[in-house]
Amino acid sequence: MPAAPTTLDRSKTVAGRRAGATTEPWWIRGLLIGVTVVFLGAFLFVPLLAVFAQALSKGVAAYFHSLIDADALASIRLTLLTAAISVPASALVGVAAAWAITKFDFVGKSLLITVIDLPFTVSPVVAGLIFVLLFGRRGWLGPWLDAQGIQIIFAVPGIVLVTLFVTFPFVARELIPLMQAQGTEEEEAARVLGASGWRMFRRVTLPNIKWALLYGVILCNARAMGEFGAVSVVSGHIRGHTNTMPLHVEILYNDYEFVGAFTVASLLAMLALVTLVAKSIIEWRAARQMAAAELTGPRDELE
Amino acid sequence: MSISVQRITKTFGTFRALDDVSLHVAAGELLALLGPSGSGKTTLLRIIAGLERPDRGSGPIRFHDEDVAHRHVGDRRVGFVFQHYALFRHMSVFENVAFGLRVRPRRERPSRAEIDAKVHKLLKLVQLDFLANRYPQQLSGGQRQRVALARALAMEPKVLLLDEPFGALDAKVRRQLRGWLRRLHDEIHVTSVFVTHDQEEALELADRVVVMNDGRIEQIGTPDEVFHRPQTRFVLNFLGEVNRFHGRLENGMVHFAAMACPTPEPNGMADGPAEVFVRPHDVQIDVQRNGHPCFPARIGHVHSAGPLVRLELIADSGEMLLAEMTQERYRALGLAPESRVYVTPGDIKIFT
Repeated sequence: MPAAPTTLDRSKTVAGRRAGATTEPWWIRGLLIGVTVVFLGAFLFVPLLAVFAQALSKGVAAYFHSLIDADALASIRLTLLTAAISVPASALVGVAAAWAITKFDFVGKSLLITVIDLPFTVSPVVAGLIFVLLFGRRGWLGPWLDAQGIQIIFAVPGIVLVTLFVTFPFVARELIPLMQAQGTEEEEAARVLGASGWRMFRRVTLPNIKWALLYGVILCNARAMGEFGAVSVVSGHIRGHTNTMPLHVEILYNDYEFVGAFTVASLLAMLALVTLVAKSIIEWRAARQMAAAELTGPRDELE
Repeated sequence: MSISVQRITKTFGTFRALDDVSLHVAAGELLALLGPSGSGKTTLLRIIAGLERPDRGSGPIRFHDEDVAHRHVGDRRVGFVFQHYALFRHMSVFENVAFGLRVRPRRERPSRAEIDAKVHKLLKLVQLDFLANRYPQQLSGGQRQRVALARALAMEPKVLLLDEPFGALDAKVRRQLRGWLRRLHDEIHVTSVFVTHDQEEALELADRVVVMNDGRIEQIGTPDEVFHRPQTRFVLNFLGEVNRFHGRLENGMVHFAAMACPTPEPNGMADGPAEVFVRPHDVQIDVQRNGHPCFPARIGHVHSAGPLVRLELIADSGEMLLAEMTQERYRALGLAPESRVYVTPGDIKIFT
């Protein structure tokens, strides 16, 4: 039984198939590698260094001083809170959507697959505006919400909602191809053996998708903490209240508080690095699992 | 536990997978559902298991005397072996087999020690006890197949359903496992239904064979019955090779390929055009006329690698046909390509 290919081992498959016929002369290889390295250096590595350099330009003391600034701490808290709510929620919705799409047939399925990509294709600013239009004071639900004393726009709920909107495709997109490849036979086997729906999910489906799920969650988390555009539209930029870290960076920067801005920015950069490391570990684990799956079993023989 | 389904119809969109099918499986029987792909055999199996619901208006599905049509798949106590085994890939062999016991509601769940004992007993039964800690990916196809069987048996099923149980294995392993499954069935005697498209497998393994085509049952019978007394053209064609001639019925005689002989049994068929079928091994070949009705032909290709010699014959009247004979007889007759021979068709079947 060939192991189901997942999005995680794409690179591995491609490398494995590289044949002599597609190997280029040394100078083309050198040129391509050179261009890539120079580009990555100039556009990724140097800026990353610059962020830390700027943050530490007035010394370590100034760095930590900006870090414990009340507004900075508030923005960190808000970012963590937003991620803590929107990441699990989007993981839940993502699993549900992937489940529905891959295990059932229903009317409007192809439409749903298209709609899942919407947050990726629409500009984050537009995403923010959609929510303002829906929940804002002059929006469709605004007057009713006002009457109930609920504020969504220019408040934390709005930030969480737009973050959920922008991040929810990550998990679903990671899971759908994997679950499609895995099919429903194992689930059917679990049902025949008497497992309830929940047990089947927990004991059979979840273990099969855990790496892809984790991968999606990591990417989703990075985006949730880093999202600027959509959050900017609904946040209202109230210092210490509705500023997430990216928004706080912008405000500080516009106020010429460079050390403060780059200090918070360095946290986001570190988050990116942690994300990359986590992603690599997961990819490595998944690849190892895949390699184990490719081991051919012993020969068939009846003892 | 007997199984009985009545008037089962199932459509997928506009495709009618099953069309008014009724079937009774006796308790302790090993029954084969045989047919080409798309004949509805797997759908019927899945409906018996409860993995698929028949269309509205279908009749009851009975296990023994109880109608289980509205019972959920998990409550039917069927053992199901999937075509590609569907082993849980992240669980060891032991855990796979134990799954059905572990997911039982708490009050019916056996104790840890009981589960342990039972799983090892089953793994011994399928001769895989030494692989209990391996994962499915580390097993060969035949081993996976037996783990799937042990997992299905763990829940002490009332009926055992197998979907193309040997479909994904190579020819030699298939044959070994086939004999093994037959012996296992004789040992545990649980009512079993298996789906196959391989006529040899069905004829060798099953107590009775159900031949299916286009969502309908063509014939039900013992392997001997369906092979030697096919009731339809389809059954005749599907169960092994057969030569076909266009002929004519006249006054109890059938005329085809420059010969005529009496119809095999008085079947009251009206005079007119008819199709005559003869299996290759029923084609008798002589170098001279032997007194029986026969027709002249010449030998085309000869395939002699194998237990039987297979001859391609071209009748003087133009028809091509295939004949099989033993190596000894082939040598005794001194045959070779282009030899002139006389062909005596035996055991002919006529359909109008």
